[in-house]
Amino acid sequence: MIEFEHVGKRYGGRFEALADVGFAVERGEMVFLTGHSGAGKSSVLRLLMLLERPSRGRISVAGHDITRLHVSQIPFYRRQIGVVYQNHQLLHDRSIFDNVALPLIIRGAAPQEARNRVHAALDRVGLLHREKALPIELSGGEQQRVGIARAVVARPALLLADEPTGNLDPQLSADIMRLFEDFNRVGTTVLLASHDLALIARLRHRVLRLREGRLVADEEAA
Amino acid sequence: MTRSQPPSRDSAPPRRGARTHQITAEGRSRAWRRHHRQMALDSLGRLRRRPLSTLLTMLAIAIAMVLPATLWLALGSAQLLDANLDDSARMTLYLDQGLSESQAMAVAERARAEAGVAGTELITAAAGLAEFQQRLGMEDALAMIDDNPLPATVLVQPQSRDPQAAQALAERLGAIDGVEEARLDMAWLERLRQLGELGRRIVLVFGVLFGLGVLLVVGNTIRLAVESRREEIEVVTLIGATHAFVRRPFLYVGAWYGLGGGLLALALLTLGRGWLSAPINAIAQSFGSRFELPGIGPGGSLLLLLVSTLLGLIGAWLAVGRHLAEIRPR
Repeated sequence: MIEFEHVGKRYGGRFEALADVGFAVERGEMVFLTGHSGAGKSSVLRLLMLLERPSRGRISVAGHDITRLHVSQIPFYRRQIGVVYQNHQLLHDRSIFDNVALPLIIRGAAPQEARNRVHAALDRVGLLHREKALPIELSGGEQQRVGIARAVVARPALLLADEPTGNLDPQLSADIMRLFEDFNRVGTTVLLASHDLALIARLRHRVLRLREGRLVADEEAA
Repeated sequence: MTRSQPPSRDSAPPRRGARTHQITAEGRSRAWRRHHRQMALDSLGRLRRRPLSTLLTMLAIAIAMVLPATLWLALGSAQLLDANLDDSARMTLYLDQGLSESQAMAVAERARAEAGVAGTELITAAAGLAEFQQRLGMEDALAMIDDNPLPATVLVQPQSRDPQAAQALAERLGAIDGVEEARLDMAWLERLRQLGELGRRIVLVFGVLFGLGVLLVVGNTIRLAVESRREEIEVVTLIGATHAFVRRPFLYVGAWYGLGGGLLALALLTLGRGWLSAPINAIAQSFGSRFELPGIGPGGSLLLLLVSTLLGLIGAWLAVGRHLAEIRPR
């Protein structure tokens, strides 16, 4: 599903965020990406979302080389992946329903079908009853679940998450992780960046460990 | 990424194989129209929620549109004058005093037969006097003169507009017996034509300058709107919005600004015309003539609205385009 070959990323020609990183994630896998802050977790995700291009190497997703994807093709590429952000990236002037519906509106889904899918996604994360609320009226954990609902509403084959439990207490974090595992169980490939080592250890999935921009360990699922 | 069957309409959670969304071409064009409709209304709603700043922006556009439009109208009336002038590209043959009416007719015939003459019109001395009296309202003064002081004249319409040919023709016509003088006032005509050209260029310069002004006004306003919705743009871009999708609401805002500004400009032009027409009519009447200030007319109104809307659209496009270029991957 994801393939990194000798990927390097420099910023401003000096700072080397990633150096010669190579790994592959199979379709249907759930993988943790871990390391201290600044180790390169976010860079890996940013490259996968095509927010940045690698300075060296090749990245392919679902068999396609995305490093040379034309700018005009990027939106269509991004529609194939769902992304969950640490800071949720919700629109604060729109209701929960509208936030979750956004990916479908961008794709041009028919209103009735969009409504069904949004309800299904909100139901999945247990927030169907809050669809009319504004993000500000929700707790941090609830906002994160809205972010997850938005990421999965269009049923992407690949789900990326950047510190999805960063600001949550252990109980809420465990709940959120269970959601990701649920989606993984039905076939979605999941790549999660997190530095919550205790949580990662409990969950027994494959772990990619980064240190100073290099991949230092690839631990298979226990 | 696998593309399985079209998505089912049920609300079941994603099943194995993680379906991606598939949309038919027809559905896509329907969605496209829906989004356009939504954005048109949504952007209008945004403008209506801030009536004062909207009005100010539109007014700025209107003012920038009014000056070139006014100049354009002024040029239009000058061109009206020019059309009359083409008529007076004719030559006038002043005949000898004291020619009888039949002699004058014979001279007109001879002139008519000259090569390069398209037509002639004889104005007898009596007819000339009558017209003179009528035009100037000087019946009383002229009645005191016993003899008709005006010569008979022949108006000659040359075939060619070429100044040199006209000059040569005038010389030949002047040599005809009974013709006192053949007059062709070329220099005056040429000067007027140059003035017309100057006017056109001035309108062009002002049109371009003020058009740029409209672009700047709209561009700057839209830039602020983009700034205030930066977060939203980032989010929708992250989840796969195309540039067209991001641009759309702002283009509508720009177009509404342009259209509103154009309508205001029309209102200002109409008001201005009403305001000026009373004194101008009074002046024209005092000269015993009628002069109608040229209005912009339906065609001109449409053109004005089209141009202002287009300028709004382009201004918005440039403003959003700059922002979109900033967020492309590096």
